Amino acid sequence: MKPSKQVNLKTLLVLLCLILLTVSFLYPLYYMLINSLKTRNEYFVNPFALPHEGLQLINYTTMISQFKILTLFKNTFIISAGTVILILIVGVLASYTFAKLRFKGKAVLFVAVLMTMFVPSQVTIIPLFVSFSKVGLVNTYLSVILAYLALFLPEAVLLLTANFRGILDEMVEAAEIDGCSYLQKIWHVIVPMGRAAIFLSIIFYFIMSWNDLFTPMIFLTRMDKRTVMVALAALMGRYSGTPTYQFAGLLLSAIPALIVYFIFQRNIIRGLSMGAIK
Amino acid sequence: MQINTRRRRVHIQAFLSLLPLILILLVLRVYPIAVAIGKSFTNWDGLFQSDWIGLQNYRDFISGGPFLMILRNTLILLLNVPLQVFIGLLIALLLYERVIGWKFFRAVIYTPQIISAVIIGYLFRIFFGFRGPVNIVLTAIGLQRLAIEWFGTPYTALAVMVISIAWYGIGWQAIVMLGGMSSINPSVFEAAIIDGANYWQRAFKIVFPMIIRVIEFGVIASGVWTLTQLFPFLHSMTRGGPGYETTTLDYMIYLKSFGFSFGINFGMACSIAVILLFIILALTLLEMRITNRAEMGRQR
Repeated sequence: MKPSKQVNLKTLLVLLCLILLTVSFLYPLYYMLINSLKTRNEYFVNPFALPHEGLQLINYTTMISQFKILTLFKNTFIISAGTVILILIVGVLASYTFAKLRFKGKAVLFVAVLMTMFVPSQVTIIPLFVSFSKVGLVNTYLSVILAYLALFLPEAVLLLTANFRGILDEMVEAAEIDGCSYLQKIWHVIVPMGRAAIFLSIIFYFIMSWNDLFTPMIFLTRMDKRTVMVALAALMGRYSGTPTYQFAGLLLSAIPALIVYFIFQRNIIRGLSMGAIK
Repeated sequence: MQINTRRRRVHIQAFLSLLPLILILLVLRVYPIAVAIGKSFTNWDGLFQSDWIGLQNYRDFISGGPFLMILRNTLILLLNVPLQVFIGLLIALLLYERVIGWKFFRAVIYTPQIISAVIIGYLFRIFFGFRGPVNIVLTAIGLQRLAIEWFGTPYTALAVMVISIAWYGIGWQAIVMLGGMSSINPSVFEAAIIDGANYWQRAFKIVFPMIIRVIEFGVIASGVWTLTQLFPFLHSMTRGGPGYETTTLDYMIYLKSFGFSFGINFGMACSIAVILLFIILALTLLEMRITNRAEMGRQR
């Protein structure tokens, strides 16, 4: 009788701590949401109260028209999707080679690829900018996509190779006997068997590219090419007197990544628990 | 003969499969790194001027006024690492109890990582603004003295940054440590419970030693992260100002190259980048050594 009571008390305590933590992690989001629906006056009178002068959807419509958010979403989507697709094509080909083929110098080459993973983007950005402006790549989506590819590929190759190693050699050999060509083997065996890691890369690098500020801020200076985060950074200063607009803008830019997360959060957390990604 | 042609085919396939990766890394990583190192000894402006000036950039940077400030700021900002590791570990211990709804809590605690650091920076800028909610609460509970202009002095501004960075990183720490804990064999726990170990004894005598490597990884990874990824936080909160009062190494590279207010000096920016590169390299080698030691320990 006694031990079970103790267990219940402990469970209750743990639960209480977790609920407190949840509140502290979700409160900023809630604060953004309620205040993005208020008038400026209402916000300065009491920022903690729920909106009571009717929902000010005008904050959002203003942001959408001033911010041209649909164009920004389009730009960011092209860059993020382009990055993810190219990472997968290049990454799967290379990772299959590292995981399943035997050739001289493989280990050295693999370590060399991983070594480039740790070089921060600030080191390469200046030479890249100068080279890109020489060949006319500045202010194109491709410039950002190429920079992301170089930045994310080593990590993606590490993740995919570790996963592909777990695929049984017999499966690949069986496909070979069935007459599959090299690329068919990858398409019919490796891709379906390694789908967990591939899926994780898609979600993860999509969110990473969506949220990044530094690279697109350097390479995209023209207004009509900007990504969401670059435009947001420029916009926030302009509306510093009207926090309600700011909240609407912040929330709008956060929503796409949050939606992706809440649909796929189980895959992301499973991948993280494997310790493969930072 | 047949084996030979087969091996040759494998080599060709391997070469062709790796070619795109190697080309991308050579052109977009290795070549720019070489350029950055080379140009760090010049007075490069990105256009016409690129004269060899030896170690002048390094000397100017290290003996210049901002250097000590940057050192101070970096050390203060690194305080977010113990903070997020400690809190992350506590949360992981809570989640490890697997109470009702722990998966939901786990998902919520990771949420800040999904929100762009730009958004988090602006959010904390508003929260700690002079008329922001933090000051309203402080005034309401009778602590008017503490309701200050947080971004008015470098130390308080840096403190807000440390809090916001820790808030952002805690979820990652907790998930990674939880992953490490999940690999502990449950029978060890059962044995400890039978031996009469209480909750804290179990946490500190069993869990802690077994995930010490995960903790080391968390410390180094978030240390490297602090040195290289603070751009969005700084850019949204203080822009490194006033002056260089809240600037770090990585933000300094930006200020010297693309932050037009301080004049363009690509050569100087490259030399700061090279310094950063070597710091990161040292930390990475340290991490690899720790990993190797752990692997060896496990084999034994």
